Amino acid sequence: MLVRARGLAKSYRGAAGHLVAVLQAVDLDAAAGEFVAVVGASGSGKTTLLNLLGLLEPPDAGEIWFDDVRVSHLSRRAQARVRGTRIGYVFQSFLLVSGLTAIDNVLLAARYVGRDRATALREAMLLMERLGVADRRDHYPAQLSGGEQQRVAYCRAVLNAPPLVLADEPTGSLDDAHARVILGELRGLVRERGTSVILVTHRAEAAAEADRALRLDGGRLEPHDDSITDIRRLR
Amino acid sequence: MRRFLPRGYLFTVLGIAVGVAGLVALGAMAERISRFIEGGDRFVLGQISVAGEGMGMGAGFTAGGLLRAAKIAEIARVPGVAAAQPQVMLPLKTTTSQFLTLTQELVLGTDMSVPMVNRNYRELPVRAGRFLQAGDRGVAVLGTDFAAARKLGVGGRLEVAGLSWRIVGVLDKTLTAPDRFAMVTIEDARDLWLRRDPLLVQLFGAAGLGRGDLNSGAAVAWQPGEDPDAVARRIQESVPGVNVTIPGEVSRLLKESTAFFSALLLGIGALGLVIGGLSLSNTVTAAVFERIRDFGIKRALGATDLHLLREVLGEALGVSLAGGAAGVAIALGIGWLVDLRILRDGQQVFLFSPRLLLFALVFSVVLGALAAAYATLRIAHLSPADAIRRGT
Repeated sequence: MLVRARGLAKSYRGAAGHLVAVLQAVDLDAAAGEFVAVVGASGSGKTTLLNLLGLLEPPDAGEIWFDDVRVSHLSRRAQARVRGTRIGYVFQSFLLVSGLTAIDNVLLAARYVGRDRATALREAMLLMERLGVADRRDHYPAQLSGGEQQRVAYCRAVLNAPPLVLADEPTGSLDDAHARVILGELRGLVRERGTSVILVTHRAEAAAEADRALRLDGGRLEPHDDSITDIRRLR
Repeated sequence: MRRFLPRGYLFTVLGIAVGVAGLVALGAMAERISRFIEGGDRFVLGQISVAGEGMGMGAGFTAGGLLRAAKIAEIARVPGVAAAQPQVMLPLKTTTSQFLTLTQELVLGTDMSVPMVNRNYRELPVRAGRFLQAGDRGVAVLGTDFAAARKLGVGGRLEVAGLSWRIVGVLDKTLTAPDRFAMVTIEDARDLWLRRDPLLVQLFGAAGLGRGDLNSGAAVAWQPGEDPDAVARRIQESVPGVNVTIPGEVSRLLKESTAFFSALLLGIGALGLVIGGLSLSNTVTAAVFERIRDFGIKRALGATDLHLLREVLGEALGVSLAGGAAGVAIALGIGWLVDLRILRDGQQVFLFSPRLLLFALVFSVVLGALAAAYATLRIAHLSPADAIRRGT
């Protein structure tokens, strides 16, 4: 199993000061080369779950294993290494660094893992050409459309060929055409590279790309049978 | 360039520049006043000034009546005295003669047959032309501010009270009293004095006065190994009818009378440091906090605390250095413009010493780096998700 999460719990302090439990004892497995979709209503904790799995914030309780290594208890430095080399992120709001050009944003992924810049640049350009944003390489994020920004963010997420890609509503800010491009790319990653993808979404057509769909409701994760049925029917 | 000065830092650089410009401008004013006071102190500690008894206020550094030649000869014989140089020091404008001010313009006549006695001003640096020589008549050497205020240079002529002197030299800037002097030989100064004060002419003969008695004071040198204060007291005790300034006491009095200025300087310096420092550190800290989202993204991409600290420090260094240099440039520009205007009156308000400029640059870089490190450490404890949330 590539990713194994057990008993994940996370609470936030609400406006009134009391704790709001967002996730409660969540278990999740994702095998290598598996495309898992997590669906749920807005505010159900999908993004929080992805943040915990991606080591972007610590859980209040529970453990996360990555290739049989318990990564949730590693040092900050070791977790940074895991994030840089093993995980790629695609966010709904793209999260590009506004002061960097498109190509520099993509290359940011290689900077912190000590990759050779020339090799990374070559690969980044190939990726950007494939996604149709190579001609925008020297543009800043503010000069790109939403679709272009997401494609640049996608290039950044997969530049280091991470075995796991976490996608948080990657099509949430895109029109249908651009959404199809991103979903097709994620599907392609699973099929061609054997990458595991965990996608959180509220869009049925996005979840339909997955091998398996789970529903997050009331802080708990459960199989999303309707969705699976839908997916199978759609295929 | 972008590596050292990332995009979006223009306003940060400007913010730092304003703070540093304030620091440098205030510092330059403090330097200017400080140099003037130091120069005065060095002068009074370099010689014993003696004047005749009586009230002759406004005649320069010495305050007293005529110091006749016989008295000067008497002084020269006092044990421990190495030389006594007769001098005539007259205010250029008689209307202000009763006010001995820091910025008073003076005509100083010295007896060039006697070597300059002031230990700290053996020679005044000449920027153009030459200094006075024994036997000169009808020539003048001008202090730099005196010359600049009148747009005079070597070869020009200085007209005072109907007398005309050819300018043979212009002094280098000393940033103290001589900058506002017109220096002539003592005979020329005596001519000016007689022309200005006809009563003196009537006293010739009647009081047994000769031209050699027309001295407003004398600069007295002491022999090597002698204590100047002890020599001054010896003159005081053994030569009646003279006003003697005790170098150590005058220096102390000068320091006391300029204590206000010293406090002012300290205040200006402290104010400059606080204003400049706060502006700079606030700007850098704000710039780092503004990028909290970027740090979150970078940490999500594998950046460690050390990566971010190194990155931020590198950027802070570039930004602080650029802001510091821009601030120095702004202050220099303002100083130049102000001094250009003020110099018409023979004044200089700013002194941009190399040590001040170096201090401003080092100060901005060090403070910028400290502020950046502080801000980075403040946000380092945030998880990547928290940093992204807070910065969005």
